Amino acid sequence: MTSDAAARSAVLSELGLDKQNRASMGRLLATGNIERATERPDGRMKAEIRIPPDELAWDPAVLVLPHGGDIDIALYNDDTNTHCALMPSNGGGRWIWLPVHSRGEVSINLDGPGCYWYSSNIGNDEGRGLFGAIVAMGEVPPDARLDRPAQPRPD
Amino acid sequence: MTDYVEAPPAIKFSEASAIIGTAPPVAENVTYERLLAAGSEPHNWLTYYGTYDGQRYSALDGIDTGNVQRLRPAWVFQCGSYGLHAGSSTYALEAAPLVVDGVLYLSGWDGWIWAVDAGTGQCLWQYKHAIPFDVSLCCGNVNRGVAVAKGRVFAASLNAHVIALDAATGEKVWDVTHGDVRAAESATVAPLLVKNLVIVGSSGGEFGVRGHLDAYDIDTGERVWRTYTVPKPGEPGSQTWPSDSPAWARGGGNTWVTGTYDPELNLLYWGTGNPAPDFDGEVREGDNLHTDSVIAVDVDSGHIRWHYQFTPHDLWDYDSNMEMILFEQDGRKLLAHFDKNGYFFVLDRTDGALVRVTPFADRITWGEISPTGDVTPLVYPDKEGEDVHFWPGPAGGKEWCHAAYSPRTNMFYVPVQDVGATVTRRRREFRESIPYWGASVTVDSADMAGQVKAFHAATGEEAWRWSWHLPISASVLATAGDLVFCGTPSGEFNAMDARSGELLWQFQTGSGHHSSPTTYSVDGRQYIAAPVGWGSWVEGFAPGMMGGPHGDALFAFALPE
Repeated sequence: MTSDAAARSAVLSELGLDKQNRASMGRLLATGNIERATERPDGRMKAEIRIPPDELAWDPAVLVLPHGGDIDIALYNDDTNTHCALMPSNGGGRWIWLPVHSRGEVSINLDGPGCYWYSSNIGNDEGRGLFGAIVAMGEVPPDARLDRPAQPRPD
Repeated sequence: MTDYVEAPPAIKFSEASAIIGTAPPVAENVTYERLLAAGSEPHNWLTYYGTYDGQRYSALDGIDTGNVQRLRPAWVFQCGSYGLHAGSSTYALEAAPLVVDGVLYLSGWDGWIWAVDAGTGQCLWQYKHAIPFDVSLCCGNVNRGVAVAKGRVFAASLNAHVIALDAATGEKVWDVTHGDVRAAESATVAPLLVKNLVIVGSSGGEFGVRGHLDAYDIDTGERVWRTYTVPKPGEPGSQTWPSDSPAWARGGGNTWVTGTYDPELNLLYWGTGNPAPDFDGEVREGDNLHTDSVIAVDVDSGHIRWHYQFTPHDLWDYDSNMEMILFEQDGRKLLAHFDKNGYFFVLDRTDGALVRVTPFADRITWGEISPTGDVTPLVYPDKEGEDVHFWPGPAGGKEWCHAAYSPRTNMFYVPVQDVGATVTRRRREFRESIPYWGASVTVDSADMAGQVKAFHAATGEEAWRWSWHLPISASVLATAGDLVFCGTPSGEFNAMDARSGELLWQFQTGSGHHSSPTTYSVDGRQYIAAPVGWGSWVEGFAPGMMGGPHGDALFAFALPE
């Protein structure tokens, strides 16, 4: 059993769990890269997500936002197969075709904090690895918090 | 260097469907005055219980005891579940559909809200609030309904927001943060609209959330008042909590089911949930007000005018959130409540005085309540690590699912669960966002039963019962056709004779019922709207049905044209 992140990463690679059709048929979910979104002066955020060739994975697989709000995401399909993106957003998900070697833009709105998913919802892209996470960090506004002394959180 | 082609523009996912995108502007004319007189327009179901009194009774009589055998599905609306979502194995369709002049408004699990043509089932628009899949949920991925007025649809979301949508388009008008998801708050309640206020309760009692009831301005979303159900030190009721510990701050008493309202008294009647931790009472000595209570709240100020506590110092998870039905008897303004603890309470709703208390569940072993309201606990988790078994289990003799009252028969119709549980006290430290039960809990998977029972309002005596081999965990609907409708966990949707309990009609819908059916008419044709979709806190109220088929359909039943 692995005991730290570095060992986990090494064993994932050794077993081929971070590749297509090695250990399993697909790539183990959430084994890709992690990236932070950047924030503009007005608080609006932006990020870039790619689909590398033959990996059937998002890069980054985990996009981290400093807080909830509006995010502009540029999507690049560097693969030689057609994919798409279904992104979470308040009001309704946003969906976009991503033809081979294409670039698209999606603007979404998310509350924070919490963890949301996004995917390419065609074929079995999701099961093979095109399933990612968007994590909104931060706290809720002060007036929405409970009127009580600060409470302990998990270690 | 790749020479990229431009991808087609992103679209809203619902645009890739047959959804129309707009609804007739029928909700513009829904005013407080119409909500006050909702019973006078039975072709609509304007508010959560149909009317402010919580009776879940409709004056429609097109479907009656003589023709109900010909009832059949007129249309079915479905959505389906996809991707990851919070408590994905627990999603259920729990809402009470509202209807305004031919448009039906429905909420689903995970932030879904729909407007549907009530005559055809055609989806007119849909809204999806993006819900983090890591929100803390005690009891499944559910929502109990929306509220509609002034051209808007109001809803609470699982990540503890309150939103207002344009009722004609489904576009968001305002959005406020109602609770703290990092403190494990969520929201599942159907809002109640009174005057110019959107009244919304809290969820999170199994995580030590300090319960509260909030009122927001209909037009702006600005919070007008917030009332905590558990007092701070020094406030009225604080003497019922330990003075030397922070127990009050994690005390529970959440308000996750819609209340009722008496406009003459200007009072809301809102049920409150279990104290926290649910089963470890030693860390919260005292009666623990205002948990497991009804609080009578001045709707203008949010002040608690009186309260009645159904289970003082609860050790069994006996929330009292379920409906407070308002009715009159011999000129007296009364309130009826069927509690999780298995007892049927009638109170004077002017001052909270107990009028009558009688058992309504078959097996009650946790304790006894005398005719004068004195509570004697008998079986409860006391010693660390020692098993105790009691009836009703934590889901109660009746869950949140609602009873109904027919003024034609002067009877209450009650969905009853007969399921026990084994509980073992297991003390743990409080950590924000981690479940805080103070016990290990195993609800019985066998030796369970259920009934729809009818009780005479005047005496509290049982008039009839319809028995089923599984607990009944869905709301009852009563109509002027002298019919009572209720679904089962195994998928049957039933119509019974309101006077005798005779089963007159049954339809297998394919998934269990844990929702609130309503009724309405379009162009004179009466429909029964039954949301179907098994899930939610099944491990609590019917673990023997944990493997039952999920679903997500709204059936609209009608007589042949």
